[in-house]
Amino acid sequence: MSVAGNGSRPVIEYLSVYKAFDAPVLSGVNLSVQAGEMFALFGPSGTGKSVLLKTTLGLITPDRGDVRVAGESVYFGGHRSIERIRDKVGYVFQYAALFDSFTVFENIEIGIPEDRLSRMSRAEVRRNAWESLELVNLEPAQVLGKLPAELSGGMKKRVGIARAIAGRPEILLWDEPTTGLDPVNTAAIERLITQLSEELHVTSLLVTHDVQGGLEMCDRVAMLEGGVLRFCGSPEEFRESDDAVVRAFADREAAIAALDVLDVR
Amino acid sequence: MSRRSSFVSSPPDLISRVLAALGGTFSSVTEHAGQLGQLVWRMGVAVVRLRVPRRIIFREIRILGMQSVPIVLVAAGLIGIVTSQQGGYQMQSNLPLYIMGSVVVESVVLEMGPVLTAIVIIGRVGARITAELGTMKVSEQIDALYSVGRDPVEILAAPRVIAMLISMPLLVGMANIVGILTGMVSAQYTLGLGSETFFYGARLFWHSYDLFYSLLKALVFGGVIPVIAIHMGLRTTGGAEGVGRTTTQSVVFMTLTILIVDALFPPLFLQ
Repeated sequence: MSVAGNGSRPVIEYLSVYKAFDAPVLSGVNLSVQAGEMFALFGPSGTGKSVLLKTTLGLITPDRGDVRVAGESVYFGGHRSIERIRDKVGYVFQYAALFDSFTVFENIEIGIPEDRLSRMSRAEVRRNAWESLELVNLEPAQVLGKLPAELSGGMKKRVGIARAIAGRPEILLWDEPTTGLDPVNTAAIERLITQLSEELHVTSLLVTHDVQGGLEMCDRVAMLEGGVLRFCGSPEEFRESDDAVVRAFADREAAIAALDVLDVR
Repeated sequence: MSRRSSFVSSPPDLISRVLAALGGTFSSVTEHAGQLGQLVWRMGVAVVRLRVPRRIIFREIRILGMQSVPIVLVAAGLIGIVTSQQGGYQMQSNLPLYIMGSVVVESVVLEMGPVLTAIVIIGRVGARITAELGTMKVSEQIDALYSVGRDPVEILAAPRVIAMLISMPLLVGMANIVGILTGMVSAQYTLGLGSETFFYGARLFWHSYDLFYSLLKALVFGGVIPVIAIHMGLRTTGGAEGVGRTTTQSVVFMTLTILIVDALFPPLFLQ
């Protein structure tokens, strides 16, 4: 399935992306995400969603195919191209991936692109970190000097988001941002994702297992299964799909029925 | 009984297995060598381009160097005592006792000080670096650095290597002094050898070059230990179990390398 959106211009394009580790993970994924769009990618565990997300920044190199971000090729554009792409993209990691030996301030500071950071005064960097923390609803005065080990799981996620937005990116990639959180924190982070996407006018690509949250937040959704796109469309189309596997992600009864279809023991 | 088909595969014979093992080892060694060479090159480029944050270098000097002083000095003190005691035992009634001064000083400065300090540093610093970077690798912190456009070699690797290149000669210098002093005190109490006689014997066979040799060893060890530790840390895969496995491999790799490099020093620098 090759899927392009209907919007203005594509800012992320996956062009026949293949990747195998011990076994094939991605088997020719074609997908594009439009400017300003909120896009959710669902799929069973281990189906390659995070791998696909990592190819966007060159963190994992595909065996075949290419990824284009804001018109630039990640794999055929050279070193400068990758640097420009990374300056435009903020990546929120599944478990925040904060640097343990750095304070919250230093963690956020490192999210600012280097050339911009070199032109900023210490006061400006501090103001940026302060604003980034306020955007993720954390109290800057309380957390700026703390180490990640002194924060709760929910606070770490928020600091990870603050680091991703510190460089004021055009694109945000969210790798299962609500994994491991309680329902209240999950709802809070989801509200934050919507709020940040609107306030910062960014394109968001969200990989998540939280299907209901994704369907409520996003303009379009897709489902990756068996290394290929099984579905791509609007949340309404997803809910009304008669594909047993897609339906399994939309409601629990269908999920139980799909165990046989997917041969899950 | 049907005859077995000639297509049925049989277990590989001994020669095939030996060749496969040799091939695997050769492949692994060249892979490590290539990755180590690339790491050293990238660190060199980072240093030449002045892209290594000084703030992190100073922090690493404090964590890796200054915080290692107590354990290094304790080890050095014990080395001096043991060298003095065993030397005294072997020389009883065969050689003049003032030779003990030379035996302790030369043993500590040429060999014991640098090598045993390196072994202590492998346990305290090398294992720490591998475990730390390995944990960062499996918890996506290395990916996070790349995602924000930063090179882990500039931020994580080069500062640690520079910190150890600065710290190691200083640690070995301190270990040499403490080892000699404890050796002298030990000789005084157990053999009745006065400090003047001890230093008289030490001066008889002393060459200024010995100190250079000792500090050169320290400098080389100070580079080898963190480079291997970083290389192994950045190769880590497989969660907590992978971090433990890689740290063990790293300690073995560092220890063997230090002993091999140590064995190469006399033919290269003492001829």
